[in-house]
Amino acid sequence: MMRGGRSFVSSPPAFSNDAKKLLVCAANTVSIFSSATGLQITSLEGHTALVTSVIVVPASNPAAKVLCYCWTTSLDGTIRYWDFSVPELIKTIDIRMPIFSMVIPSFLDVPVEDNEKHRDLFAYLSTEDTKETQEKPKVLRRQIRKCNLSKSRLVGRIILGETKKPEVLTVSPSGKFFGIRNKFKLHIWKVPDLGSEHAAVRKITLHHTKKITAIAFHPTQRIVAAGDVTGRILTWRGFGNRTFAAGKGVANEKLIDVQEDNPGVRDNDDADSCSTWHWHPAEVNVLSFSSDGAYLYSGGKEGVLVVWQLDTGKKKFLPRIGSPLLYFIDSPDPTLSSISCADNQIHLLKMPSMGILKTISGIKAPCSYPEMYNGLGNGIAFDQTAGLVAVRTENYCIQFYSLFDDRGISKVQVRERNHQPGDDVTVVVTAVALSLDGSLMSTAEVKLAEEGIGGLVCLKFWASGSQNKEFSLSTIVYEPHRDAGISAVTFHPSGHMVVSSSFGGDFKVWICNSESIQNDQMHRNSSWTCHAVGSYKKKPMTAAAFSADGSVLAVAVETLITLWNPYKNVLLSVLGETLTPVVTLSFIGKSDNLVAASRGSKPQLSLWSMSKLSLSWSYKLCVEAVASAVDLSSFAVLALLPEPSNETTFEGRDGVILLFNAIDPVPTAIWSVRKAKGGALGLLQVNPSSAEEISIDGKTPEVLLVYMNGDHEYVLFDPYSKDAYEVSVSHKEGLAALEPKGQAGQFGYASIYGELPEFDMKRNGTPWVPSFPYERPWETIFAGSSHNLPPLTKLCRTFLESLLEKRTE
Amino acid sequence: MAEIRPEQQTTTISRTFLIKPKLKPKPRTQSQTPESKYWSSFKSTQIPNLVSSISSISFSPSAPHLFAAAYSASLSLFSPLSLSDGDVSPSFTISSFSDVVSSLSFRLDGLLLAASDLSGLIRVFDVKTRTPLRRLRSHTRPVRFVKYPVLDKLHLLSGGDDAVVKFWDVAGESLVLDLMGHKDYVRCGDCSPVSADMFITGSYDHTVKVWDVRVENSRSVLEVNHGKPVEDVIYLPSGGLIATAGGNSVKIWDLIGGGRMVYSMESHNKTVTSICVGRVGKGNGGGEAMEDRILSVGLDGYMKVFDYGNMKITHSMRFPAPLMSVSLSPDCRTRVIGTANGIIFAGRRKGKENEESGRGNVLGFGSTVEPERRVLRPTYFRYFHRGQSEKPAEGDYLVMRTKKVKLAEHDKLLKKFRHKDALVSVLGRKNPENVVAVMEELVARKKLLKCVSNLDAEELGLLLMFLNKHATMPRYSSLLMGLTQKVIEMRAEDIRSSDALKGHIRNLKRSIEEEIRIQHSLQEIQGIISPLLRIAGRR
Repeated sequence: MMRGGRSFVSSPPAFSNDAKKLLVCAANTVSIFSSATGLQITSLEGHTALVTSVIVVPASNPAAKVLCYCWTTSLDGTIRYWDFSVPELIKTIDIRMPIFSMVIPSFLDVPVEDNEKHRDLFAYLSTEDTKETQEKPKVLRRQIRKCNLSKSRLVGRIILGETKKPEVLTVSPSGKFFGIRNKFKLHIWKVPDLGSEHAAVRKITLHHTKKITAIAFHPTQRIVAAGDVTGRILTWRGFGNRTFAAGKGVANEKLIDVQEDNPGVRDNDDADSCSTWHWHPAEVNVLSFSSDGAYLYSGGKEGVLVVWQLDTGKKKFLPRIGSPLLYFIDSPDPTLSSISCADNQIHLLKMPSMGILKTISGIKAPCSYPEMYNGLGNGIAFDQTAGLVAVRTENYCIQFYSLFDDRGISKVQVRERNHQPGDDVTVVVTAVALSLDGSLMSTAEVKLAEEGIGGLVCLKFWASGSQNKEFSLSTIVYEPHRDAGISAVTFHPSGHMVVSSSFGGDFKVWICNSESIQNDQMHRNSSWTCHAVGSYKKKPMTAAAFSADGSVLAVAVETLITLWNPYKNVLLSVLGETLTPVVTLSFIGKSDNLVAASRGSKPQLSLWSMSKLSLSWSYKLCVEAVASAVDLSSFAVLALLPEPSNETTFEGRDGVILLFNAIDPVPTAIWSVRKAKGGALGLLQVNPSSAEEISIDGKTPEVLLVYMNGDHEYVLFDPYSKDAYEVSVSHKEGLAALEPKGQAGQFGYASIYGELPEFDMKRNGTPWVPSFPYERPWETIFAGSSHNLPPLTKLCRTFLESLLEKRTE
Repeated sequence: MAEIRPEQQTTTISRTFLIKPKLKPKPRTQSQTPESKYWSSFKSTQIPNLVSSISSISFSPSAPHLFAAAYSASLSLFSPLSLSDGDVSPSFTISSFSDVVSSLSFRLDGLLLAASDLSGLIRVFDVKTRTPLRRLRSHTRPVRFVKYPVLDKLHLLSGGDDAVVKFWDVAGESLVLDLMGHKDYVRCGDCSPVSADMFITGSYDHTVKVWDVRVENSRSVLEVNHGKPVEDVIYLPSGGLIATAGGNSVKIWDLIGGGRMVYSMESHNKTVTSICVGRVGKGNGGGEAMEDRILSVGLDGYMKVFDYGNMKITHSMRFPAPLMSVSLSPDCRTRVIGTANGIIFAGRRKGKENEESGRGNVLGFGSTVEPERRVLRPTYFRYFHRGQSEKPAEGDYLVMRTKKVKLAEHDKLLKKFRHKDALVSVLGRKNPENVVAVMEELVARKKLLKCVSNLDAEELGLLLMFLNKHATMPRYSSLLMGLTQKVIEMRAEDIRSSDALKGHIRNLKRSIEEEIRIQHSLQEIQGIISPLLRIAGRR
């Protein structure tokens, strides 16, 4: 079992002391990347829930720079101490409360006198109190607590603060203060000087009129900066002069307060002055002071990193990062820093010039699309031979992600348009299809119309070079089906034919004319032209699939399935009929079976036999994805569970993967999964040549099933393996996206469907339901496109014969 | 010492994309073959206002290949060099003929020009001084052709309506031979490029006769029958093949093979009046691999280029008048076609013009002074620019600088989100493709209608003018038709209050009505055709 596709941007990353490594929180693990190559070196595994923060123990002297220790916290309620060079777990502190954030101020507060007494290490945690649900109002369950890491326990009952939402703690680089943002307020605590446990922690609060989204402390001076949802950046100077001054005479201070004029400071807040900068059009997510305190970095939703000169307010920009910024992390090396973007990319910046040195590329998150395009598959295509997955991204790209290496390979700009994060979605890549060998790609995109004008549908064909996976555009077809949207794009197994079906009631077969130009050094010049057009009663075509040998093309016409000869464009047969329009069609390997899935109010998964031209079996299942491989007789289906599913049985799992064996209606294996909505399934065939490289659980399977959930996290496993069960048991506690319920088919099937009355096997009493067009030929005589209608004389006879037949009945 | 460190490679995250118009479809078959490109590369100039039909055009065999054109009772000499400058006036005109000039021929050195007229007189002029040197009179009827042999400076060949072909000694103004045999008017003839003694003549008796002056009894050596009155006949450069034009066909004959017809090209619709041989450069460099072609012109106004190697028409070109004569300069740089209504279409191809004119200058003004190369010193300004224009050598490692994206004005404005300004700026540029591209981008930003509502009266006029011009174009109509409707709906008030805008709307209405008319007639045609197609498809 292989996992991947995790989000690298769930929490801020951290640099190691020599700035050669970057520690990134990725779901349950901490992945360690080399900052020189941008590739993963190793990972720290042990947490059983999302890792929320990672803190590298800083080096107190230059010699200690090689030391590689870090603390991590997780939602599983543990704090762990690691040596990440080995990597090895050293210590675990279990506080039994989910931890959202942790800071250890004493790391930064350089000890002036290293006296004989070993001081305890204190950390401040942002936790959630899970126990006291009855006593307390539910809203204030998130607490800020103090923890003695040396003694592995929380300090007494000290609760520094309570908030409604889990807040991220921010510590000042000097280690003297830490703070959180809480709606319109900013809470700042001063870290007590003494290493004693119960020293009083003082707190001040700064107020603002907008919701605060980011906070940063100046490294040397008493300056705190905060960004709000409207894009303003506020800078308070000299905060806490009164409260933290350790003065005793309260009366004196009050006198001073009267005399003092604190420009910009709201209410009676404890700060000297407050100034505001405003450049960002949307909320500020990133705020960070440079290590010398001369500059302030800010970034937000619009994807521009702004560098403010603190004294003058002058700005410098790193524009067009293309995605909302989430974190900006300085490294101990002054020439290196990193920014994390919402599209799961971490860019390593060369500092004064802000050029991008390397990019750590995670799988891009699924993007939100207008409602009408959500039903059209999920824009995920698998390259079976190379083990790649193609996912569409928000900035009109297709990202190619290696499933085995767990890293981004390349991306293809499908539409050449400048993407502005936060804009309305008006251009959508609706479909991606890859040929079997992965060398050709076809994409469909839609530009939404503005009040009925200017909409555009575009079909593009791409070809990749022989060596690299760089796709280059080969042909663009504007409005391939007039103004109707494309419902499906499918490649012929040979790769030189594509069929695109549209809601406008026709499908087109495109063929590739390739001609090589000699003088251009084997430059292959291929162009795609329309070969044939077909329609069936002008009904919308909703899905299309080629059989494994490419001799039959199946096109779903709403509830019917039409079979065509793709070369001659002749209608072979019509199969009917499902309850709701078919959205997915797939031939099962080399067998003569076709699986069709329909959604809507009456979802259905049905298997059709091509040899008998009739329905074999069907289930009432809401199918999200179907996967089949060319050389296999089995196929896998990702089905969504109905809403009122039993909580205790499914533990928040909302989908199941069913593995069927061709005509057998009893699934051979069932797994239940989380986040199945928007998920995808793929069957990868492992070819013997690359088999040595891919070994999972110690042996080489011949076929791998990929399940990618709605967040684009994926898992690869051998669907036939007997010990898939044992392997995943060890992950049972965690955020595992997947857990087998049992692979002995009948048992697993009964265990699930016994509880769900909706899953009644809707198997028909008669084994083969003959499809009715055979009984009533007059319904299909006139079907099909006009140019292959038989001559009128022939039609007449058939028609009259059919009438005669009827009368005899 | 400064330490030289290799610049660390940094990349930008996302590129800037320009607003580009949609791609145009490429035709499946290339509309321009290299050859048709070659023939269209003759930049055509019209020489108008010559009184009547251009009966003959002849090029001087020596550079710079002056050409002479005969029309009415005069002949004019033109310089092809001045043609490329757009100067269409003749270098000189001789109009001392008593009758219509029928034919012209340059001697092989280009110094003498022979001209025949319909009074039966042949005159020889000195090209430089324009003085008439010899008068050859023997034809009793109009002379139709006169020709200097290709390899012989002393003799002249002529033929006329008296059906006699005459061979002259020019210097002595005397007749050498009378060649009898044609039974009708002799209209044309050519001299062999390989032999000084052989020539061919074509006549209205449908025959082409091959003559040899060495034959004793003045009888023709060979005779071929074209089947139609022969209008023109030429030797092909090999000397073994001839091409004859008559009726609407051009035929190629193999003389060495005993007068066998090789091919008959019948693609003209009317009588072919003149043919000549041209060469076409295969490689783009020109000169190294030239292939011969036959150029034929006819009364149907077409010029056709015939590849007699592959027996294929490789190019066809239409002129707006019946064509009478064609000639191509020996260096294949100038092509001249004469029409029946007194216009010469002279075309000149770009080439190594400078080389020739440079040589001319050298001859004209003596040696030019080579600028002296001075040693660069730090006191010179150029010292600081030295080496900047240096070209990289073969093995040099090139440090590529990222190309700067050139932004048009509308791109810059769109980048600044000044949507209306971008639309106005691109409307002012008069490039409809870009305008539509910007409009589509605005649609993608959902700002187009906002822009329209923000336009002031003058800018609205600009937009309406654009819509009037391009709304019915099929490529843009899907967007522009909808937009036009929206614009009129949204800005009805403003349009009503301005007379200028009302005018635009009137124009718009007119063009829409025109379009509707076209659509109606197209639908009618479709109605006629579709049953036919259906019947044809059933077979």
